[in-house]
Amino acid sequence: MNKQQEAISRQKIFDAIKQASPTAPANIDAIQKEALELLSLNEDARPAALHDDPSIALEMRVEKGLVIGTSCERIATLADLPNAVKTFFAKHKLPKVAKVQETEQLQSLDWNGIGINADIIEDDTVGVCLAEYGIAETGSFVVSSSKDMPILLNFLPLYLVVAAPKSKVLAFMDDYALIANDIAKQGTTPRNICIISGASGTTDIEGVLVQGAHGPEFLHLVIVDDL
Amino acid sequence: MQANKPQNFYKNVSEALAQPNLKAIIRRTTDKADAKRAEAVSNFPGFENARTQGQKIKDHVIKHMDHYLAEFEKNAKAQGAIVHWASTGEEATKIVMDICKQHEAKKITRSKSMLGEEIGLSHALDHSDMERIETDLAEHIIQLAGDPPSHIVWPAMHRSREDVVKLFRSNHKSPTQSEEIIDLVRSARRDLRTKFLTSDIGISGSNFLLADSGSSCTVTNEGNAELTITPPKVHIVTAGIEKLVPSMAHAVPLLRLLTRSATGAEITQYITFHNGAKREGDADGPEVSHIVLVDNGRTKMLADGMEEMLRCIRCGACMNHCVVYKHIGGHAYGSVYPGPMGSVLTPHIEGLEVANKQTHACTLNGRCEEVCPVNIPLPKLLRALRAKSWSKKYEPITNRFVVSAYAMLASRPKLFQLSSSMGVVMMKLFSRKGWIQSMPFTSGWTSNRDLIAPESKTFMQQYKKQRKSSNTAEKQQ
Ligand code: SF4
Repeated sequence: MNKQQEAISRQKIFDAIKQASPTAPANIDAIQKEALELLSLNEDARPAALHDDPSIALEMRVEKGLVIGTSCERIATLADLPNAVKTFFAKHKLPKVAKVQETEQLQSLDWNGIGINADIIEDDTVGVCLAEYGIAETGSFVVSSSKDMPILLNFLPLYLVVAAPKSKVLAFMDDYALIANDIAKQGTTPRNICIISGASGTTDIEGVLVQGAHGPEFLHLVIVDDL
Repeated sequence: MQANKPQNFYKNVSEALAQPNLKAIIRRTTDKADAKRAEAVSNFPGFENARTQGQKIKDHVIKHMDHYLAEFEKNAKAQGAIVHWASTGEEATKIVMDICKQHEAKKITRSKSMLGEEIGLSHALDHSDMERIETDLAEHIIQLAGDPPSHIVWPAMHRSREDVVKLFRSNHKSPTQSEEIIDLVRSARRDLRTKFLTSDIGISGSNFLLADSGSSCTVTNEGNAELTITPPKVHIVTAGIEKLVPSMAHAVPLLRLLTRSATGAEITQYITFHNGAKREGDADGPEVSHIVLVDNGRTKMLADGMEEMLRCIRCGACMNHCVVYKHIGGHAYGSVYPGPMGSVLTPHIEGLEVANKQTHACTLNGRCEEVCPVNIPLPKLLRALRAKSWSKKYEPITNRFVVSAYAMLASRPKLFQLSSSMGVVMMKLFSRKGWIQSMPFTSGWTSNRDLIAPESKTFMQQYKKQRKSSNTAEKQQ
């Protein structure tokens, strides 16, 4: 297909849409108003919050076992993260090697006793990274691609530890989506936004759930009270 | 396994019904999915409101499809994506194949996409000199087995653990000797890991296209979409034009509905929005990003008054709750989309002339509509397709004869009563202990199960008798 043929196909599609009866003539302001009104229905159409404090609600969701393969803990400051990672190593009987996200905030912590630049392709490496947001509704964390955030860091290791600031734990998915909508308005959406809610899993063989299908088998969420 | 053809529906059904374990295998997955969905819905008191909201969002986009398509195109281009348009499946496949050739690709990784199947991309890749690598575990299994998918959410549900053991042992580089499911999953993880990292092009579908940012969204439990898309230099998205939503905030209510309706989970583990090519300085990601927007019968649905079908978010709940699907499974439909949704979609993709029989494979019990998260009136759409098929004279001559004969009898009550009482007498001749094992003209039914014998009198005979005796009783009083 050359460009001209594709342009013909494009035109065909738009013509067919115009000819079909349900399509109203476009009035951009009216369309935008209608789209916005649809979001006002959110309040009655989402699950109840487990707690008024989203960070507590997130913890409760994990503790109830509602987030696959995930554990959770709270630390006072980011300086406590290396100890949380050490406890995670001990729990899973892992060698003390990790791939820590190459961001100043994490690299400047005291990682004494832990190798922090291991190869993430190895299964028993623990990935350690910093999430931008947490979401209580779904027990999720949100990361987006950047110079400091290789997306693969969240997918290659079998074990993943993710720190999320308490102040950035949002109650509902919509709360994050509205932030993303604003970023889109500015035209600065990153290449990838990942909303991750638990460990990688599959039920493709006889409906039996197995964790660690392609991505992490175990996920540890660390909520940082003061980041 | 050779893919069935939609026009051979009756033959496909007979073959499916003759498979001794098929029904049990299907029910193992669908019954579990039904129960999990019911639990998820009961834990979500706002589900009905969410359904209404989801339906309204989809209807809004369908009403303003041209506006949102143009918006999406503009924003995706602004983020560095190359946008292509395909009005048919063949065009879409050609565009993808041309891109692959242009990049001299040898290895192609794919994350599960029903649209990819719909446009025949797997077939085209298999007939090229490129290696196609399916990365979703179920797709990986059916690729090794050479099967078409049998369900839109669990494409390998027709394969048992024993099948998987054999397939992995003969195809994986260092296969496990264990037959435990966890070890089988690990074997696939090992086998696919290097393939992810050495692929030239990653191809994905899209669950949603966000018009305001030009992003495509993948939804998986395994994380294979991100591993398919991130390492290669080139990412190609193929997406139907009905996948549009105004923004991420509009995708969220649909995501709540999708995961609960599909697997009964409150959310899926990985929801990723892909937005153009790698930005300058990004730690990873594809350098080139293509999006192929595909019509392939969708605008025809708009024109034919079937626009409600464009709400479909491919959750599979309608097939999990369909009594026909549970008996015959997905392969019998002979198309990518089985079950109730497939019986509406396939006639628009492959033509009603070849896929009209599927529209009759429905008891109109309404379960599919009851569970559809976006309130698609599937029985109504199926009835409309039946009417169209009748008026276009696509029905087999025997069906037309039987229906015409019935119409003639039904409009002549005396003749109808006479023939039905003769029918009862005839059927009685063939019945044994209340069941009929075989009888002329009923082999379609009796070859796979017994037919229940009728009462000794017709309904009208019994009704008249009862009325007579109650009249006599009244008079006596
Ligand atoms: S028709 Fe409804 S129930 Fe069936 S797959 Fe589509 S959205 Fe799901």
